[in-house]
Amino acid sequence: MQPFHVLLAESAAAHGHLCPGQVVGVRMALLGCRLIGLDDPRRPEQVKKLIVYVEMDRCTADAVAHVTGVRLGRRSLKFADYGIMAATFLRLDTGAAFRVISTEAARDLCQLYAPGLTEKAERQIAAYKRMPDSVLFQVQQVRILLDALDLPGPTRSKVACVRCGQMVRDGKQIRSPEGPLCKPCGQGAYFHDPRPVAWENMNWRPEEESEEERSKRKPPPC
Amino acid sequence: MLKKIPLAQAVGTRLAHDITEVRPGEFKGPAFRKGHTVCDEDVCHLQRLGKNQLYVIDLAPDEIHEDQAAALLAAAMAGEGVVWEDAPREGKIELRAGRDGLLRVDTAALAAFNLIDEVMCATVHNHTRVTKGELVAATRAIPLIMPRAVIERAAAVARQNGPLLSVAPLRAARAGIVVTGNEVYHGLVEDRFVPILAEKLSALGSSVSAAVFVPDDARRIAAALKDQLRQGCDLLLTTAGMSVDPDDVTRQGIRLAGATEMHYGAAALPGAMFLMAYIGEIPLLGVPACGLHHKATALDLILPRVLAGERIGKKDLAFLGHGGLCRHCPSCTYPHCAFGKGA
Repeated sequence: MQPFHVLLAESAAAHGHLCPGQVVGVRMALLGCRLIGLDDPRRPEQVKKLIVYVEMDRCTADAVAHVTGVRLGRRSLKFADYGIMAATFLRLDTGAAFRVISTEAARDLCQLYAPGLTEKAERQIAAYKRMPDSVLFQVQQVRILLDALDLPGPTRSKVACVRCGQMVRDGKQIRSPEGPLCKPCGQGAYFHDPRPVAWENMNWRPEEESEEERSKRKPPPC
Repeated sequence: MLKKIPLAQAVGTRLAHDITEVRPGEFKGPAFRKGHTVCDEDVCHLQRLGKNQLYVIDLAPDEIHEDQAAALLAAAMAGEGVVWEDAPREGKIELRAGRDGLLRVDTAALAAFNLIDEVMCATVHNHTRVTKGELVAATRAIPLIMPRAVIERAAAVARQNGPLLSVAPLRAARAGIVVTGNEVYHGLVEDRFVPILAEKLSALGSSVSAAVFVPDDARRIAAALKDQLRQGCDLLLTTAGMSVDPDDVTRQGIRLAGATEMHYGAAALPGAMFLMAYIGEIPLLGVPACGLHHKATALDLILPRVLAGERIGKKDLAFLGHGGLCRHCPSCTYPHCAFGKGA
């Protein structure tokens, strides 16, 4: 794996800015990988051995994903929406899994670890670089019983929702007396009142677009 | 884990922890020690102490008792010059100075350690002068039984930069003093600095190798300092000439003498015009006039640290600010006061 400062610079560039969460995320990933015995998880021979569960959708999650190379679309990145600054690193070939939790104490200690800095984010960045892992993190060894349907690889199950007809993949349907339901139908969704709409230029396709048309393309009306 | 058993069934069992007795104004301490085997005669005494149930320990493989925990913590904390005995009292272990010197506390590590719920450590202030045998810290684990991993993490936090506590011996320096000022040089004013500094140095185990008087002339100050170095002085002190007065050229003289690092001004009162410099590796302390009139100034805060081998920089002089204000008590009790204790 690249040295810490290189990973941090890359991660911050990919994320859009350098922030305290980036520092915590890069270090969290380095520690997590060390605990499960992967020294370069982005290498082809290691990339399929790792699954990471992030428990927050914050800067830290991006840094963890960048360092480890896990991707939502590859099913190697799982999002558990707990609002907790933690990530769990699961090694598929051994079953070893460690949950690395960012400590609240670390936030209170920034003044002591970076005493000369008065700007909050600057102080946190410096302090989080200086703190040892033992201060920055708590670690739990955990067991993860991963359903085969949650593994990376080809789609293993496809079922149509009996109410709306939407195809549901990977066993995510809800069982109901009337038959399998997609989650929006079976337990509600983050959206409300869905209704079909038509939109302008419905027959657009990329292959047929000229450069002039592309430059004139306008965002759809809100 | 801990199991509770009724007192009536406790005869013949061994106590899991010390049981403290408090008799106001008379006694506070363990009435029964951990490991004591409860006998019939103890039952009434335990009832008087309000005990109707007792704990019996049944440790799981990944659990640790508070006494073992305290020993692991003490071992992680004790650096050079700090000693402790594996004889916890009420789960607490005291750490003592193993030699005379200056206590060093890693305050960031201490704070990080104390933010862990299950443990605590209290110390005397960083940079306190201590004598052999003196109590410098005490630590304990709070629960009677806890996961071993928690204590191992706490121990790692305590030793994140090396042990949390150490006592650095003060070296016996051969100090050269350069007293600056036309008024003293020409005999208009009698010098009082040399005896004051000699006494302070002596109290710290050092001695004055040479003391010379020079006028407010930067070249002569520089020459005097170089001469002291040639004579083998391994610590230099200058007095006066530190203010904004145009005749005050001591700083210029120090620079001419070859100071490679110079920090003028300390966040302490008295002692705002204190100077810290290095000529090569030899430390030089510039003592402003306040050193004549006050029992304790920035000099008293910095000199022991220099003798303990610390390299003093700008940051160290700035950090004196918190607690660096002498309250000028009618009866000075320094060092047994707050002056300089915040750094």
